[in-house]
Amino acid sequence: KEREKREKLRIRFPSAMSGEEEENAAELKIGDEFLKAKCLMNCEVSLILEHKYEQLQQVSEDPMNQVSQVFEKSLQYVKRFSRYKNPDAVRQVREILSRHQLTEFELCVLGNLCPETAEEAVAMVPSLKTKGRAHSDEAIEKMLNDLSLVKRFE
Amino acid sequence: MFCLSEMEDTVRVPPDLLKLPLEVAIKKVLQKLLLNKVLSIGLCVTIYDIKSAEGGFVLPGDGPATYKVRFRIVVFRPFVGEVIAARFKESDSNGLRLTLGFFEDIYVPAPLIPRPNRCEPDPYNRSQMRWVWIFEEQEYIIDHSCQINFRVENISYPPVPTEQAEDAKPFAPMVITGTIDDDGLGPVSWWEGCSERNNEDDDT
Repeated sequence: KEREKREKLRIRFPSAMSGEEEENAAELKIGDEFLKAKCLMNCEVSLILEHKYEQLQQVSEDPMNQVSQVFEKSLQYVKRFSRYKNPDAVRQVREILSRHQLTEFELCVLGNLCPETAEEAVAMVPSLKTKGRAHSDEAIEKMLNDLSLVKRFE
Repeated sequence: MFCLSEMEDTVRVPPDLLKLPLEVAIKKVLQKLLLNKVLSIGLCVTIYDIKSAEGGFVLPGDGPATYKVRFRIVVFRPFVGEVIAARFKESDSNGLRLTLGFFEDIYVPAPLIPRPNRCEPDPYNRSQMRWVWIFEEQEYIIDHSCQINFRVENISYPPVPTEQAEDAKPFAPMVITGTIDDDGLGPVSWWEGCSERNNEDDDT
């Protein structure tokens, strides 16, 4: 069961980046110091940090002592600001958003803030409407509608 | 937002850690080096994994074994233009200070608070000033009652001071300047009923 959990996390972050992701990293304008970067939604970080915490619980009676303040408070933050809790739902959210020609950055802002209307989505991510992008209000509404169907708690 | 960053670095594993499995030893050294620090890529939260480690050579006269390590870390990295969910921390005549819990150096200066507004002494907290937005003759107090969405306007990385006065504020290696003066920004109660957008749990 532990291996299944690990497999689920591993699938989400393939070790080789596709060409499309490399382009997105360039759009983020990150320096050369590191090789690749991938934006994560709060719900994904929540799964990662919870998993790490569980691993610590297995080897220590007092896992809270083992983790830094930043780890502990980051976990609190992402748990509070994540709409989707279980790994399947989180994977579905990324899949749905990935179908809509978004940059990694845009995908994560939308996944984090969960706008309910196209108008809200554009207020949060104005780049959806910059010229040359084909995001009509209908397309955005469809995307938000697909998201609303993902079961939040299971 | 949070990012998964892949990095490559040279790691020296001191002799007392060499009896541990290599991955564990390297993680320990990396954690000590990186966690809670603000690098150019962001605030380090946790080591995600070690992808590879080469080397292990012990240089003559030098105790630690040196490895070239490829690893991934989870960092918090704000982007200019990004809208982030935060909570109110405190306010004064300069503006607001917001917090994410793990990161608290977020400032919304007075010019980036929607107008018309006023700043007045906080009746509930005499050491503070509070900000009130006035819109269509309604008053909206900015306080800790709701999630506050802000947009990142600027990120600065002040140089480490060589000396600090004893009563100086703790050094902040990364400071975010934010705005709440736009559609959808500010306390979420301004845009709908005052309920947390994401999580239905009570505030803690």
